[in-house]
Amino acid sequence: MTTVKLTYPSAILVVAAIATPLCLLRAQAPASSDSRSVWDGVYTEEQAKRGEPIYHKECAACHGDMLTGGESAPPLTGGAFLANWNGLTMGDLFDRIRKTMPQSAPGRLTRQQDADILAFMLSVNKFPAGKTELYRQSEMLKEIRFEAEKPAPKK
Amino acid sequence: MREKKPKRLSSLLFLIIACGLCWSTAASAQFHAKYTEWPSYAADLAGTRYRPLDQINATNFSDLEIAWRIKTDNFGDRPEYKLEGTPLMVNGVLYATAGSRRAVIALDPATGELLWIHGEHEGKRGAAAPRQLSGRGLAYWSGGREERIFYVTPGFRLICLDAKTGVRIPSFGDNGEVDLKLNDDQDIFPDLITGEIGIQSAPVVAKDIVIIGAAFREGMTPKSMRNNKGYVRGFDVRTGKRLWIFHTIPKKGEFGYDTWERGSAEYTGNTGVWTQITVDEQLGLVYLPVESPTSDFYGGHRPGNNLFGESLVCVDLKTGERKWHFQLVHHPLWDMDISSAPILADITVDGKPLKAVAQPTKQGFLYVFDRVTGKPVWPIPERPVEVGNVPGEWYSHTQPIPTKPVAYSRNGVLIDDLIDFTPALRERAKEIASKYHLGPVFTPPTVSKLEGPLGTLTMGTASGGTNWPGGSYDPETHNVYVYACNSCIEPVGLVPAPKEVSDIAYIAGTAGREVEILHGPGENAGADSPRPPRKPAGGGFARMDVDGLPLVKPPYGTITAINLDKGEFVWQIAHGETPDVVRNSAILMGMNIPRTGQTTYNIGTLVTKTLVVAGEGNITTTADHPRGAMLRAYDKMTGKEVGAVYMPAPQTGSPMTYVVNGKQYIVVAVSGGPYSGEYIAYTLPSTGE
Repeated sequence: MTTVKLTYPSAILVVAAIATPLCLLRAQAPASSDSRSVWDGVYTEEQAKRGEPIYHKECAACHGDMLTGGESAPPLTGGAFLANWNGLTMGDLFDRIRKTMPQSAPGRLTRQQDADILAFMLSVNKFPAGKTELYRQSEMLKEIRFEAEKPAPKK
Repeated sequence: MREKKPKRLSSLLFLIIACGLCWSTAASAQFHAKYTEWPSYAADLAGTRYRPLDQINATNFSDLEIAWRIKTDNFGDRPEYKLEGTPLMVNGVLYATAGSRRAVIALDPATGELLWIHGEHEGKRGAAAPRQLSGRGLAYWSGGREERIFYVTPGFRLICLDAKTGVRIPSFGDNGEVDLKLNDDQDIFPDLITGEIGIQSAPVVAKDIVIIGAAFREGMTPKSMRNNKGYVRGFDVRTGKRLWIFHTIPKKGEFGYDTWERGSAEYTGNTGVWTQITVDEQLGLVYLPVESPTSDFYGGHRPGNNLFGESLVCVDLKTGERKWHFQLVHHPLWDMDISSAPILADITVDGKPLKAVAQPTKQGFLYVFDRVTGKPVWPIPERPVEVGNVPGEWYSHTQPIPTKPVAYSRNGVLIDDLIDFTPALRERAKEIASKYHLGPVFTPPTVSKLEGPLGTLTMGTASGGTNWPGGSYDPETHNVYVYACNSCIEPVGLVPAPKEVSDIAYIAGTAGREVEILHGPGENAGADSPRPPRKPAGGGFARMDVDGLPLVKPPYGTITAINLDKGEFVWQIAHGETPDVVRNSAILMGMNIPRTGQTTYNIGTLVTKTLVVAGEGNITTTADHPRGAMLRAYDKMTGKEVGAVYMPAPQTGSPMTYVVNGKQYIVVAVSGGPYSGEYIAYTLPSTGE
């Protein structure tokens, strides 16, 4: 009897501890399956072209010309990069840049410049361009899912 | 720009440990007291990362749950996404460096409750530091009742704290600090605020001496052949007085000066010891793993073998005098810094006891020496290597290559190393590789040409093999356990440096890409100050992947158990879940591909009574777990995986373990991508309490 009384609350704690990260992940998942993903043409070619020189001026020194990273900065292309952001949103990626980049002076770039850099990154990672530019507000970008794999065509 | 006056001290005492000291003594009869703590960065001064604890074992590892966690966002003025620390646990308190301020925190090791925090506000000097963020850890010293914590700030000041309160100890140095930019047998240029020198590794304390090395910015595209030098110093733990210095670049008249021709020892810099130092207190010997001299990939301005660049140097603990040295790479051209703690091991070779030191490396060789004499345990003969043709370069025609153990990771790139899941993928990879010069270990860099080669395709240079986390050693089995990146490819090409960028003849770069100077406030202001970016101008662009798949074949990352009595592998496994890009590849659909491991170079291992524990460095999303990474446990005898536990982000600091209140904990630093730095403590469920 004593054992039952004592293990029950601790079992709840165990469940809570395990479930917490899962809940967080759920909270970040899209609200609707109809929302857009990076495969839906969420930036324009022109925007990516604008982002390219900004990337090379502000980011390439650490992340590399080819976005392949360096000793102190992770790659922004390739399998590990895609896996790292898979399941999150463009808003998460945008916020990470806004909060911490460029490392020497975080937040120095405008939202437009950050969005243009992101557009360039999407183009290097071979996500398709579209007809509208990438948003420059993180709340709106949170509606765009980052999916590493191209979803199967809708029937 | 307005300069803020640095605050001398902003130490907050949240809670003085009142009754905490009784915890560790109660820690249990079942554990040997010596092994319930983790008193130095690598568990001990021998660099073993070993604790013979077995409460957490093969039968229950997967049951681990989070005991406590602490985010480091608020220990600095911005979050940190690269938390690399390994905490200490001594006398019932856990200590760690944390956050972008590199604060020191003291925690209750059972609950994670914050006991005190100490931060140094360094203003412009901190902002100009070559190695910023929270660093890898700190050092603990006890002299009777007194307990001290030592750490080095980003701005390169050695700070001495009272371990009970987090307040500086005024009698040490100048009110608790020693300015490491002073009294260094050189004038740090251009000035004490912006002068490039710092360190991110943990100090070492042995026999009342605290030992500090030095680090610099990354050296691929330095602005000058001249730089500050990375000497190593020993200081008195009580007073902060400098006791000795070792010149990693010899001064005129000192041994090795003549290995720097044309007087290049005078102006060449770097050559620091930026990683962990190891000490044998009984023998009174210190083992210094020395990095590359100025300019990682071009040595034309420093002709000669360049002692003690990329050497393992043994010095006297009391005096700093050199006892022996072994240069692993003559005239360094590959950024093969000796990047991790030398490992001390008492082994038996051919029936005879031998005090050894084993050095894991980026180039995947485990170099093993008699640590008293410096004599190789197994022959390390000089072998002829390729001599390159970069104008002005000086080449060593031979390099020392160990006969035993054989390399535990790839250290060159040949056609046979390329991806071969299908013949078509191999052909595509050959096409990419054809733009580069290929070869085995010590194939030199080339001048980058549009018509080819764009450079040398190297492995085990900047980021391959074993980097700063180093290996573990098990005194029971005499095995070294060591992670290696087996797929960290580094294309190394050289381009002439425009005079306005650097006074070095050649710096790392790719043909067809204009080199330009970076302007703006980013200059000299970051952890790793931006290197001159290069504008694409057509050509010279080659991806290092084939349809997103790694250019080389698996395994991408391994853990190897190497027996030091025999110099042979006991087992080798791929460490880490197969990357999403491989697992989900349409091209590979239907193929049976065994676990590949992952491409990452910063994985540290922990060895216990029965397990080898290491986390993953990459995020994956699988049927078994949501987006995240796993902390994995392997049977240390066989390498068989026996358990795994979920982490919300990759392991970025090496795991450590301790016992408090009779319970074993494993603490690991995680961070990366969208996840800011966090220490997580795992323990077993307390059922029946």
